[in-house]
Amino acid sequence: MSTFKFPVINPLLHSELRLKVMVALDSLESADFVYLCEITDSSRGNLSVQITTLKEAGYIEVSKTGLGRFSRTVCRITHKGRQALHVYEDGLRHLFEQQIPDKDVGVAKSNL
Amino acid sequence: MDSKQELDIIDGIRGEVMAKKDLTGENLFLAWGYPTAIVLLMEFAALMIWNEDWCHWLWAGIPLIGTPLMIYFLNEDYERTRCRTLDQNVILMMWVFIGFASCLGGLAMGLADVYKQCLFPLIGFLCGMGCFMTGIILHFRPKTICGILASVLSAVPLFFQNDRWPWQLLITAAIVIIALIIPGHLFLHYVKSERQRF
Repeated sequence: MSTFKFPVINPLLHSELRLKVMVALDSLESADFVYLCEITDSSRGNLSVQITTLKEAGYIEVSKTGLGRFSRTVCRITHKGRQALHVYEDGLRHLFEQQIPDKDVGVAKSNL
Repeated sequence: MDSKQELDIIDGIRGEVMAKKDLTGENLFLAWGYPTAIVLLMEFAALMIWNEDWCHWLWAGIPLIGTPLMIYFLNEDYERTRCRTLDQNVILMMWVFIGFASCLGGLAMGLADVYKQCLFPLIGFLCGMGCFMTGIILHFRPKTICGILASVLSAVPLFFQNDRWPWQLLITAAIVIIALIIPGHLFLHYVKSERQRF
């Protein structure tokens, strides 16, 4: 019997846009909303929803600076978020190295 | 999405963030360098002409001019790049620390009445060290070399004590030119040429 265990797939990060946001913030100290829109190639509405989800999970911090038209929404990854992303990425690399067929990975993810 | 697609997204975004990274802070050395050098020269001139206690308070002009200039240039950089990298944050925090250390050191030495002996060597050394560290982080050799030179020269004011004390101001102004103004202009030129290239 195989002893291999599927790594835990974090459902919060198993979304293309949320993963893109987390990876971008992991490579930076902070980034504002406009930058994240550009780098993830997403709409403002969709990004706003995903940022709220990540903020509620404690993966990112969001702060607003300035007033009126000079206001800026700045996002930063938290320690918890960085840890979760690295665990998730390690899990993905593990799955990829094991060369598990896509259909099995899909089953593993849907079982979680 | 399968694991391969997700890994491609991760690598793709990391690559894009790296590609979008831009050199920033090209005006910050000059924003602090010119006010510091000019104020030190003005204080020297004031001491030579009037030699009164109020002349010593001219140093307050350095943070009063330098801080708004720094905030303006930082905002301008952020407006352009819309993000701050880890390197930029380390450099910024280091210079904020140097600024606070200089101010607190100056106040403590003023209260202990020893500022004529060691304040300017301390400021010269901190500027040189900051310039050296910035050069190391940015891989910009002129800053590294100027930083080492300024740190070594920061010991020179120690040899000007008692009646010759005001000359420390002139020497420190020269150290500031080496630590901030010369590397600041070289970096500005480098950043402009890099931007034209891409």
